[in-house]
Amino acid sequence: MFRTLVILALISVSNICSGQSHSVSIVSGRKPAIKLSYNSSLIYPGVSAGAEYMFKEKEIVKQKRKSKQNCFAREQLITMNLSWYHHSGFHDNIYLTSEWVARKTRKSGYYSEFSAGPGYSRTFLGGTTYRVGEDGSISIKKHAGYNYAVVTTGGGIGYDFSSRNNTPVSVFTKMNLILMYPYNSTIYFRPVLELGVRLNTIIFSEIKHKDDFSDNFK
Amino acid sequence: MISLTISNEMKLKIIFISLLILAGCQKEDPSSSEHGSDTFYVENNGSSMRVLTEGNIAGKVFILLIHGGPGASAYIYNTDYISENLEDKYAMVYWDQRNSGASQGNCNGKNLTFDQILDDFTKVIQVLKKRYGNDIEIFLLSHSFGGLIATGFLTTGNNQNLFKGYINVDGSHNYPLNDTLTRNMLLTIGKQEVMNNLHTDDWNAIIDYCNSHAGNFTQHESLKLEKFASQAEDYIEAVKHVKYFPIILGTSISGRYPITSVLVNLLYSENSDLNKEISTKEFSSSLGKITIPSLVLFGKYDFVCPPELGLDFYTRISSREKKMVISPVSGHNLIYQDKELFSREVTDFIEKLR
Repeated sequence: MFRTLVILALISVSNICSGQSHSVSIVSGRKPAIKLSYNSSLIYPGVSAGAEYMFKEKEIVKQKRKSKQNCFAREQLITMNLSWYHHSGFHDNIYLTSEWVARKTRKSGYYSEFSAGPGYSRTFLGGTTYRVGEDGSISIKKHAGYNYAVVTTGGGIGYDFSSRNNTPVSVFTKMNLILMYPYNSTIYFRPVLELGVRLNTIIFSEIKHKDDFSDNFK
Repeated sequence: MISLTISNEMKLKIIFISLLILAGCQKEDPSSSEHGSDTFYVENNGSSMRVLTEGNIAGKVFILLIHGGPGASAYIYNTDYISENLEDKYAMVYWDQRNSGASQGNCNGKNLTFDQILDDFTKVIQVLKKRYGNDIEIFLLSHSFGGLIATGFLTTGNNQNLFKGYINVDGSHNYPLNDTLTRNMLLTIGKQEVMNNLHTDDWNAIIDYCNSHAGNFTQHESLKLEKFASQAEDYIEAVKHVKYFPIILGTSISGRYPITSVLVNLLYSENSDLNKEISTKEFSSSLGKITIPSLVLFGKYDFVCPPELGLDFYTRISSREKKMVISPVSGHNLIYQDKELFSREVTDFIEKLR
């Protein structure tokens, strides 16, 4: 698990670091998208939904030997996500996160990304919770759980179908690490695997920009 | 506008199906199950401690486990063998102490003290009786560090009257004496093993350390002795060597372990001030107060809590009904290493008293 995370992080970090580019063109534009994903740790189910907003995009063309070109886009995005997982007998966790995402999209439509950001978590304990008063009286505490500060980081890969046709959908898988503090005076961590889809809302509002973006890859 | 017309027959079907679904959603009464698995939490002073009750809850005979540590989890005792051989007859209660296992909280480290754990334990028993009825019979079972909690609790006031009996497995009731006996055992058996040319280098390192640290152990020295004690068990051929990791890993998914919680809680507790506090704790002088039936189970090659420590407990308690059994193939984890003996002795003990 840890090795997978490290590999994903390294791939993503390498994507962020710009190589020597022969041609860089800045493409202005905004591509809001929404996502929905299965948000799981091993056998424990969950769901994540969110919206992302691109604030920076660079199209890079690298000249290779034999007059071949390597074209890709580097994007930076801000996302807001609301996620939940259920760990039976332990807790349910609902957490709201805002992440910065660095994404590299190839001409073929495949992309890789790295993300990190802060958030807030509220857990609900996985069983009836009792309180015992000083007089020995016992009561049930409703909605028992804890608030935590959260930091998430992760990396993943995906495929954007809009690179081939106008289908504004991409699929992705992403490994995230959730860090929660203060958890029993220490830091709780949990790896979470996401499998999901993204829907680019550009198809509804900024089709023109989309066409421009595709043309640049031709 | 679309109008929908539903026949009476269809309405009846919908109502019937809805009732079936609702009936399926009804929670089973935890106190009436013969194969139950019931998780609840007890909140006390900044910690919500997980309690899992599994097995024959309807039988009304409960075995309340106090795990070792500090910081180990009750999860690791919930083995398939115990499920098959004890939970069929009794309800096993796995309590995660504060800052252990699946227990949760925020900034509660300052509350991790011995007295607070005793207070937590009192409240766990109160909730158990509230949840399953005042007529339940509770047997107390402790392992290792759990022995310190158990003896601290049993020797206070009338607490022992809450239990039908006490089962002490590889437990420590006196940490300073524990260190001395560990050192003596390491020296005695170590020298025998060197004479027999077995693991000579390993034993010589242990013997050298013990010879240069004769008593009045600091916390650091105490931890060092404990580390040697754990290693020493591996050098003894007569010990049944159990690979714990595959067992724990194998049951971690079926048991729904919150693995990372167990891990971070263990790391935190192992390095907490609680260890300093308990390093001078002893209850030998008050063991005479214990009069409830007691079963004492120790491993012959337990260097961590030597059998002589069990003998000290056995001879000092005032219980009329008491028995001590030493497993010839066990080290510090008799529950795993001699599981047949453990299950048999616990069953015999309970059946005689219920």
